Amino acid sequence: MIVPQFEYLVPQSLQEACALLGQHGSKAKVLSGGSDLIVKMKNGLAKPDYLVSLKNLDELKGVRYEAGTGVIIGSRTTHNQVIANPILREKYPSVCAAAATMAAYQIRNIGTIGGNLVNAVPSADMPPILIALGAQARIVGTAGERVVRVEDFFLGPGRTVLGQDEILAELVIPDQATTGSNYVKFGLRRAGALAVVGVASSVTMAGDVAKDVRIILGAVAPIPMVAREAENVLRGKKVSDDLIQHAGKVAAVESKPINDIRGSAEYRRNLVDVLTRRSLKAAIEKGHV
Amino acid sequence: MSEATTQNKEYSVIGRSFPKVDARDKATGRARYTGDIKVPNMLYGKILRSPHAHARILKIDTSMAEALPGVKAVITAKDVPSTMYGISPARYDETIFAIEKVLYVGDKVAAVAAVDDETATKALSLIDVEYEVLPPVLDPLRAMDDDQPQLHPQYPRNISVEIHQNFGDVDKALAEAYHVRTDTFSGTRTSHVPMEPHAAISKWEDGKLTISCSTQSPHYFQYHIARVFGLKMGDVRVMKTFVGGGFGGKLEASGAEYVSAALAMKTGRPVKIVFDRWEVFTHHRGRHPQHITLTTGVTKEGKIVGCHARFIIDGGAYTSLGIASAYYAGAMIPLIYMFDDYRFDGFRVHTNLPSCGAQRGHGAPQPRFAFESQLDMIAKDLGMDPIEIRRLNARKPNTMTPNEFQVNSCAFTEALDKARNISGWDEKKGKLSSDKGIGIGCGGFISGNGYAIYRTRLPHSGAVIKVSEQGDIATLYTGAVDIGQGSDTVLAQMAAEAIGINYEDIKLVTADTETTPHDFGAYASRQTLMSGWAVKQAGEEIRKQVLELAAEMLEANVEDVDIDRRVIYVKGSPDKVLPFERVANEFFIMRGPLVGRGKYAPPKLGGKFKGAPVGTSPAYSFAAQVSQVEVDEETGQVMVTDVWDVHDCGQVINPMLLHAQVEGALFMGMGEAMYEAMVFDANGKPLNANLGEYRIPTALDVPHVVSDLVDSYEPAGPFGVKEVGEGATLPTMGSYANAIYDAIGVRIYDMPLTPEKVWRAIQERKRM
Repeated sequence: MIVPQFEYLVPQSLQEACALLGQHGSKAKVLSGGSDLIVKMKNGLAKPDYLVSLKNLDELKGVRYEAGTGVIIGSRTTHNQVIANPILREKYPSVCAAAATMAAYQIRNIGTIGGNLVNAVPSADMPPILIALGAQARIVGTAGERVVRVEDFFLGPGRTVLGQDEILAELVIPDQATTGSNYVKFGLRRAGALAVVGVASSVTMAGDVAKDVRIILGAVAPIPMVAREAENVLRGKKVSDDLIQHAGKVAAVESKPINDIRGSAEYRRNLVDVLTRRSLKAAIEKGHV
Repeated sequence: MSEATTQNKEYSVIGRSFPKVDARDKATGRARYTGDIKVPNMLYGKILRSPHAHARILKIDTSMAEALPGVKAVITAKDVPSTMYGISPARYDETIFAIEKVLYVGDKVAAVAAVDDETATKALSLIDVEYEVLPPVLDPLRAMDDDQPQLHPQYPRNISVEIHQNFGDVDKALAEAYHVRTDTFSGTRTSHVPMEPHAAISKWEDGKLTISCSTQSPHYFQYHIARVFGLKMGDVRVMKTFVGGGFGGKLEASGAEYVSAALAMKTGRPVKIVFDRWEVFTHHRGRHPQHITLTTGVTKEGKIVGCHARFIIDGGAYTSLGIASAYYAGAMIPLIYMFDDYRFDGFRVHTNLPSCGAQRGHGAPQPRFAFESQLDMIAKDLGMDPIEIRRLNARKPNTMTPNEFQVNSCAFTEALDKARNISGWDEKKGKLSSDKGIGIGCGGFISGNGYAIYRTRLPHSGAVIKVSEQGDIATLYTGAVDIGQGSDTVLAQMAAEAIGINYEDIKLVTADTETTPHDFGAYASRQTLMSGWAVKQAGEEIRKQVLELAAEMLEANVEDVDIDRRVIYVKGSPDKVLPFERVANEFFIMRGPLVGRGKYAPPKLGGKFKGAPVGTSPAYSFAAQVSQVEVDEETGQVMVTDVWDVHDCGQVINPMLLHAQVEGALFMGMGEAMYEAMVFDANGKPLNANLGEYRIPTALDVPHVVSDLVDSYEPAGPFGVKEVGEGATLPTMGSYANAIYDAIGVRIYDMPLTPEKVWRAIQERKRM
């Protein structure tokens, strides 16, 4: 397996990186961890002439908290750094737990949270939990900066809102009114397996009443899917086991899974049902703060 | 984990957990595998492979590839011998490159040698092959139908081998049985997945071909490569490097050797070929998917009276070792339970899919899954405990199977009792909570094959030990092949024990057709017994020569002199001692090199019927495995929490390595039981020829394992040894399937036991 020839560019600033991307257009790809891109290149599924490495852009690394804004995660933060980060562990252990379901230890040392989003694989593990928490993506391009909701970031498998000269710089998880969140993944092995289905949820409980509910489904639609009808089953209602059961059924119906070698559409719908219930229960009972 | 209970206190070196001889090299990365090796002037070879499952080659244009700077040779079928090769002598059906037709996605079409990997890869893309795509045969159950395309002109109806063996009167036995069941089971195409891909470096100098490679048998490589290229065997030297796992897949030359040899001959430069993971999967030669129908009858008390086994076996494109695999499928069924009337009808058929061959347990694991599942179903029909029905039917020592395998030692009943005991079977069976279950599966396997793969009078193993002139060390020269399982370590222990010196004193030269004595290699769980006999004999010859001289030096009778861990002493006279090195040194000065020689050939084994040799062995192992599972009924996900394996493997040479073999075999069985299956699209293209989508168990997936032993001594084995490396693969599938049934009352008839399959079975149960 040989990586095809390419020119390796190492910009020293985010602006320079964006300028290089603008200059080379579709011939260039951003290299962050490379755990997805390099494999694609070896398999002939990506043939960029230029790789724009972000390795010297330290401003894209790490996790910090800004009062009034929330938790800010640099796009080059590796999965293992997400898992070990004290701020995330304290405020959103569900984010750390989602990162811990991915791949294997060595790959989590290389792969980055930004890469997990930008690759826009339907089964990606980080988007559902980030969407459930209302996270936003800070995007930097030659023309400046813009912010989009992670929920609006994906256009289709492998496609995002990023323009040719744009880089996903940071993810912002705003301060939460939600009281609990959770990501449940079903893979065909305990490590090194893509999600057959992944379900993230967040709830805002007021006593027994679910004031707000988010349910995000992974691997059952071309992009991470908001299960709006299932959310409506619970939103504003007094939570009960029956209602949670019903929400699972509704989520299964509104999901749009396909048949592939990891599972049939029918089985995936069943998993959406089961995992939605389990995710909701955990988010209601265990909380995240 | 318990230490070997069979450890004989009389021994000084065997029965102890010495670290592997190559542990330091492997732990530090100093071990060099074929892919790590670079030699001066070396070229890099790459093989162009068919993108079609079945197609006629109309035209190959290599001119553009040849014109690429850095390319030193481009070869196709017209540049190499067209001699058919294989490893089953009755069915040589492969050539170095496909001549007229390609028969699977991955079939070899052409190759290049270039100054580096990148250039070689680029050159492959410049070879223009024109194909006429033909309809493929993909369904083994339909392969024999008249309307199916033919793969090989010499195999009408795509039948690779047809087997009919009949012992006793099965029809009568089944007619008279109290209870008869017929059930159909199926397995999948699982692959060996060695961590190290197949690799070879060939050198062609002065009419001599030298190949360093990742191999399980330098001998078979040498034999077949010499045959194909028309060379004397003496002009082909095959040397094993460190090997990162074989599991049966590196027993036959894969193409890396043939093609690198052809490229080396053409260019006059050394050529290295290393398969990538896709090539490892598509080359395959792993498990045959079998469709197995068993009809088994029992008495009212649960005694098995007869069995009729019918098989359709998917062999893939070429024969590989598949004739033996197909015979093994049926031959091993009557090994572990005693019944006289047995019939076995089998067809191995060709499909346009990767070729199947030998994989840990050879043809036996899937039929064993079928039999162990059906036996549990029969026990349930009769209201019997699964262990009770096995105890009732368990083979006894010094008996013969209906297909004439002589069993000497057999502690199967003891293994069943111990498995029952250590697993807490009686407290758990039928008493666990509704999502938990416990099940048993058993197995038995050969300890080396009674006959070589091709007809020959060669002994199966040879060994030479040479003591150094100073007497400080002894070098063991053996053709036995350490592929990670630890045969070098085990044979060094046996050599030291036989001579009467220490483990650390033994140095090794192994697995090189030029410098080491002949050995057939690492397959059929043969080396501890067969290579072990040769090594023991060589060691004892040294011991005898040393003690004779020592007796003269000590002025004692030779029968009164003995040796233990380098100290030569006269029995009953504690002051009369000599160090080994002094006697050995004196021996060299007076008589010349101190050398011991040994060889082993099995006795004539087996019956006279067609296919009788397959499954013959000097000795057989037995194993009982109890598994405990937890099932998530909503998702169908099964978690195996605990496995208790009890093996009857004779005398233990190295307990640590033995238990490691049990665990490795069990985890491989677990992969086949729970995760693994090669899958293909409607055109025969592989969909998961990578480690991401072909899932083997990870460290997080495997259960807690208790590996235990029963006391056993095998008279046909050196020091009493028998098999362990493959046997623990056999019980696992049945044991898991039976545990799942115990937990949730659903029976899965086809492998693997995926969550979706279990979930569907649960839905079916709920509807009924």
